[in-house]
Amino acid sequence: MTPIERRYRLLMRLAYPRGYRSDHGEEVLGVLLDCAEPGRTVPEARQVAGLVSGGLRERVRQAARGEAWRDGLHLGVTAVMAGQLAALLPYAGRIGVWVLVSAAGLLAVSRGRVWPALLCAALSGGKALLLAAAWQPVDVTLLPVYPGFLTDRPLFAASGPAAVGLGYAVVCCGLLVLTAGPPPGPRSSWWWAAVPVAAWAGPGLLAIEATLPVGLGRLVLEVGLLCLGVWAARTARDARWALAAALHLLVVSGQLTERLTELTRQHLTYWGLLAALTATAALVPGDRRRAVPN
Amino acid sequence: MYYVLVALLDEPLHGHAILKAVAELSGRRVNPSVGTLYGILERLNDRGLIAVDREETVGGRSRRYFRLAEDGRGVLEAEARRMQRAASLVIDRLSPA
Repeated sequence: MTPIERRYRLLMRLAYPRGYRSDHGEEVLGVLLDCAEPGRTVPEARQVAGLVSGGLRERVRQAARGEAWRDGLHLGVTAVMAGQLAALLPYAGRIGVWVLVSAAGLLAVSRGRVWPALLCAALSGGKALLLAAAWQPVDVTLLPVYPGFLTDRPLFAASGPAAVGLGYAVVCCGLLVLTAGPPPGPRSSWWWAAVPVAAWAGPGLLAIEATLPVGLGRLVLEVGLLCLGVWAARTARDARWALAAALHLLVVSGQLTERLTELTRQHLTYWGLLAALTATAALVPGDRRRAVPN
Repeated sequence: MYYVLVALLDEPLHGHAILKAVAELSGRRVNPSVGTLYGILERLNDRGLIAVDREETVGGRSRRYFRLAEDGRGVLEAEARRMQRAASLVIDRLSPA
């Protein structure tokens, strides 16, 4: 195997989904090698760019299969559950069992196992709600629950029971709807990488003294994922990413509404950014281009 | 996409031949990368504008030959006529009979 072939194979493994590689990877590789100048050992920059964008488009093309509303609902529920695990993760030293239950829920939903996910969401949601309400008839946990890493704020210092309850209600209702019909397909394992990023408070981007701080990690992750969602919605002309974004926006809106009188202009800017990206993801699939662009 | 459809007007072609045809037809103005070309081919195939004619194995690697589907021929003709009408708006004024 020549150096350039080895490099092209590595690039394709990173860019393209496994199914496409096994079906057409050798064909694409053959054309790449046919196009390479003799003696060349490093791929051309434009071929690298083409492989990365082509691989991303292929991932979107494959993701846009099946019923859009069911898949969008599953994606949205997965994203909200990843956020809920991120909210509990820094407190694993104190409420380790519940962090594990929440992680099991994310694992189940990302594998398309709806009933186990619903059970885990109901259990971890029940515990989270009791902690947020500071009412614990059973399984008493000493309050406040201080973090071990990633943040320095006690658990639910900025959230009340209404916002916590809304988040878990959205998840449980979504999972209940998904129990009807065929089980959803598996989700990317990249959601696990998003959890510690979302949990990291980072330097407080919004006013540090605000009652509802939004960490830099969470903001960058949310905006980055929503931008990807807009791009995917435009590429596939499909509304599933907008539905998922709308579920996330609903949960965030609940958190902000709970502290409505204490919100700053920065909070409104943050919400406006998320809402604008969600609306864009909803509008771009309806954008009609010419049938045969150049 | 337009030049890819034009390249397939006469006969089915495989990926590398389509690349060369697109470059020649466009006077080297359009020269897509391999990843871009295959993205276009998959989308045109999804929309039913082209179809896989056959698969061959050459040098141990399979390659697909793509052909223009009936829908693709119709869309291509409609697009060519649209561009012809648009061009004539200018050409007719610049060189009156």
